[in-house]
Parts: sequence; structure tokens; C-alpha cells
Amino acid sequence: MGYFLEGLRQALKLLFPPSRELLEIVGLSLLVSGSATALAAVFAAPLGLFLALVEFRGRRFLIGLLQTAMAVPAVLIGLVVYILVSRRGLLGFLGLLFTPGAMILAQALLAFPLIAALTLAALKDKARDGRDLAYALGASRGRMLLTILRQGRFAFLAAMVAGFSRVLGETGMTLMVGGNIKGATRVMTTAISLETMKGNFEIGLALGLVLLVVALLVNVVLQWGQGK
Amino acid sequence: MRIEAQGIGKKAGGHILLRGVTLDFPAGGVSVIIGPNGAGKTTLLKILGMLDKPSAGRMIYDGRPAHGLPARDKTALRRRMGFIFQHPLLLNGTVLGNMRHALSLRKRPFEAERVEEALGAVGLAGKKDLDVRVLSGGEKQRLQLARALLLEPEVLLADEPTSNLDPLSARTIEDQLAALARAGRTIILTTHNIIQARLLGSRLFFLDNGEIVQSGTPGQVLQNPATLDVAHFASITNVLNGQLVRTGEDASLEVGGAMIHVVSALAPGPVAAVLRPEDILLSREPFHSSARNVLTGRVEAVSDLGMFVLVQIRCGEMSLRAAITRSSLQELGLRPGETVVLTFKASAVLVFPVD
Repeated sequence: MGYFLEGLRQALKLLFPPSRELLEIVGLSLLVSGSATALAAVFAAPLGLFLALVEFRGRRFLIGLLQTAMAVPAVLIGLVVYILVSRRGLLGFLGLLFTPGAMILAQALLAFPLIAALTLAALKDKARDGRDLAYALGASRGRMLLTILRQGRFAFLAAMVAGFSRVLGETGMTLMVGGNIKGATRVMTTAISLETMKGNFEIGLALGLVLLVVALLVNVVLQWGQGK
Repeated sequence: MRIEAQGIGKKAGGHILLRGVTLDFPAGGVSVIIGPNGAGKTTLLKILGMLDKPSAGRMIYDGRPAHGLPARDKTALRRRMGFIFQHPLLLNGTVLGNMRHALSLRKRPFEAERVEEALGAVGLAGKKDLDVRVLSGGEKQRLQLARALLLEPEVLLADEPTSNLDPLSARTIEDQLAALARAGRTIILTTHNIIQARLLGSRLFFLDNGEIVQSGTPGQVLQNPATLDVAHFASITNVLNGQLVRTGEDASLEVGGAMIHVVSALAPGPVAAVLRPEDILLSREPFHSSARNVLTGRVEAVSDLGMFVLVQIRCGEMSLRAAITRSSLQELGLRPGETVVLTFKASAVLVFPVD
């Protein structure tokens, strides 16, 4: 226990004031996971909304597919993205391997089914009610979609927060396609993993604390949004 | 605006919700669609209001079919109608915000005076800055109505607007609907409240299991119910299950060992019959009357329902309910356990075939 407390003391020392390297790691983590969440949400949230609103042949199949996609292990997505962006891969010409770009792509793929399925689940009844209400009040199709967005903004926010939390804490896949290169692709989780293996528990603990604070902040925002 | 439904059918999730519903709502008046829960009332009203699409048949507004209209024209048609949902649908935000947003969705300017007036008409003038989440169920429903009033629709579609409401909110809504009708607006209302249908309705349509089974004025429908289900809705009633027996020109109903004279053209066999409590006369002694049915029974219970008194009487294996005024009760001095004479006309017994 004393050993742990000593590590914690050292960790706090690293955080106040934080080193430049630490700030870069935290910054890159937020940038990569934030961009990945945004990229996934741009496609996933409309898909979730579409599935909630429109009855069509094959809808159930598509929902089943989404749910299956949620169960795909991250490491498999990592492998696929690795093959895609490696020099001989389909996207090899972009030179993305071991860059933040590859990490964003992989994390976006991981977040996509989660955000789509959560949006669908949260909006299932709300979207139809919102459509009925907007149309009854005389809204055009565009204003109808805006009304649903407005009525269900918490549902969208919650789905995105869940997606963000998932990718921010992801390690193995991010390590595979990013490479954990110091100053280039090192993020909080890959750094914790590396430093722990090297026996530098205090750096791991410091980054762990930052991860906790980020998770806390995100949920505070979510609670605030819910209250609004 | 005149609304016509021609052979409307609706299927959803493998269930048939509506089958071949044909209705004509000329401009003006209050049309009431009545029927049991699950009859398809909400589905039909949403199709009439262009909030849902029929799977079969077509909707016609002012002589123009709605099917295949460009989105802009559909929006224009919807803007001539107002809708009140059974479970109030409100926009997030305040009471005033809802009014403001509703106007903006129809691209109409915000006029504080008219908003005040609409809120005042439903008794919400003092609540305009409240968040809609803190409103009671009755207040939410009244806000929906205020929002609809503000938009001045030619046709107002109201889906069971008073179900599960406190009497005061229900009364406010009924009064406002009646006022709108007097002002020449068209109102299409669904309900399972027969008193509301009688109070407000100029035309009554009985919807059962996705089909219109009877239509007419409320008086016509309720006096001559076409089916047992309609009769059930018509009032508190006595339902007798028995055998129809014919002797020459005469028809009688054999029920629980007793024979009741009826007027019916049905073939002999099992039937169900309906006898309204208000069609039964009670007396201490038999009296001379043209009514052919005279039974003797024992009073089981006496319930004062305010407007009238319901007396439960056992006649052999039958239990019948008779409605009398409070003053008749005092005159007769009926108490449970006492003997009473029931008199009713053969024509008061409505006989229906059973499936």
C-alpha cells in the first residue's frame, strides 16, 4: 500500500506542473479520440435516426448487423485497418500507418456501430413522436429533422459520449496501427501500457488520473445536458 | 376543407389496423369517431391528418388526392390542419417557447397578444414561463389545445383529447372544441366517451376492429345500435344471453328459465339481447300497461349515481339493472331484499345474433 501511495505522490508531482511531454500525450489522446468520435458520429447518428424513423425491407437485418458489429473485437478492427493502410494495402498510398490518421480511422470504425445502435435505441420512440409533432405543426421535412434533433439532443449526446469513452480507453488496436511513437502517436492508454511494462508506475498513474478526470468531465457535461 | 377517405387500409408489423374505411367529412361540424381501445382510431386520425400513410385506398382533400403530391403541397395541406395527440407531444422548453416555436414552424410572426389570448382560453395564462416538464397531464393537454388554437386550423383533429384528464381540464377542452365548432371550424374527434360524443358530435362513426360498423347522428346510432359492441357503448346496459324461440308471429327470448317477449326477425337459436336500464319501469304492484313484459324480482343493491339511481334486481337466474330517478326511489322506498315488479316493452329488448 505504501508503495502505491508513493507512486501516487510521484504521479501528482508529475501533474503539477505537468511536463510538456505529458501535455502532448493528453492532447493527442483527446484530439485522436475526439476526431474519431466526430467522424463516426457524422455517419452513425444519421443512420441511427434513419433506422428509428423509416420502416423498410431489411431494416431488422441492418439492426442485427449493427449489433453484431458492436461485438467485433477491437483488435480485429486494428488488424483490418493495419492491412488497409500498410504500404501494399488499399489505402497504402495515403501513408497513414503509424500516424494519428490511422488511429482516428480505426477508432472511428470501432465507435461507429456503438453510436449508431445507441442513437437508434434512444430515439426509437422519440424520433417518431418528434416527426408527428413537427409535421402536425406544419414543419417542412428539413425543419422536421431539426425538430427531432432538438427534441432528442440528449440521446445524440449520450450516444456520442459513450462512443468517445469507448475509444479513449482503447489500447491494443491503437497501439497496433499507431505504434506508440514518442511525440507522434503516443496517447494516454498506449503510454500507460508502455510505462507500466518499463516499471514506471508513477507516469502510468499520472496518466490514469488524467483519464479519470476526462471521463468525469465528459459525464458532468452529459448530466448538465440532461438537466437542460 | 373537405376531407374524404376512400377505402383506407393500413397494415403494420403484420397486423391489419384498418380495412376499407370510407368516410366523408364535409367542412364544418363535429365528427366523432368512437370505438373500443385498439379499434384503429389513432391510426385512422393520423392518416386523416397526413401524419401516416395508408397501405391501401386514398385520401382526398378538397377534391385533390394527396397521394403523389410534392412535399411542399403536403406541408401546405398539413398547415391547414391542427392535431391534438392523445399523449401530449410538446417541444422541449417553456410553455411560451412551445407557442413561439409552433408559429415559427408555420413561418408566421410572433404576436404576443394572440399567444396570451390562446393561453388564456385554456387557463394557462399564468404558466407561460414554466418548463413543460413540470406541467400536469391536464395542463399539457390544454397547452396542446392552446397551441392548436393559436395556429387557427381549418380542421382540428383531436385524438381522445380528454382521456385520463381531471374533470376541469376535460371540461375546458370540451368547451373550447364546442366554441371552435360554433365558429365554423371542422372538428374530427376520437373518443370512447359516449357522453362526450353525444354532447359534441353532429356525426358519429363507430369504428370496431379497423372497420366502420355504423354511422349517423349520435341519436340514430345510439337508439338503433347495429351491433352488440355499439350497444355496449350506447349506455350502461343489461346483456342477456339466451335462445330465441318463435311461436307463430311471436318471438320470445328464453333466458335463465324466464320467457321475455321480444320483437325480432332473426331465426330461432342462440342470441344476445340488450335491455337499457332506463327502459325498465319499477313498481310495487303490477299495473295495467301495454308493455308485454312483466317480471317479479328481488332488489339486490341500490346505487345512487347522482344523475339517476341504479337498482340491481335478481329475477331467477337473471340479474337486471334498472335506472330510476331519485324521487321515484323515495316514492317506492326500495331496499335490498324487497320484492319489486319490472315492466318493459317487447320492443325495448334489442336482439343481436351471436357469432
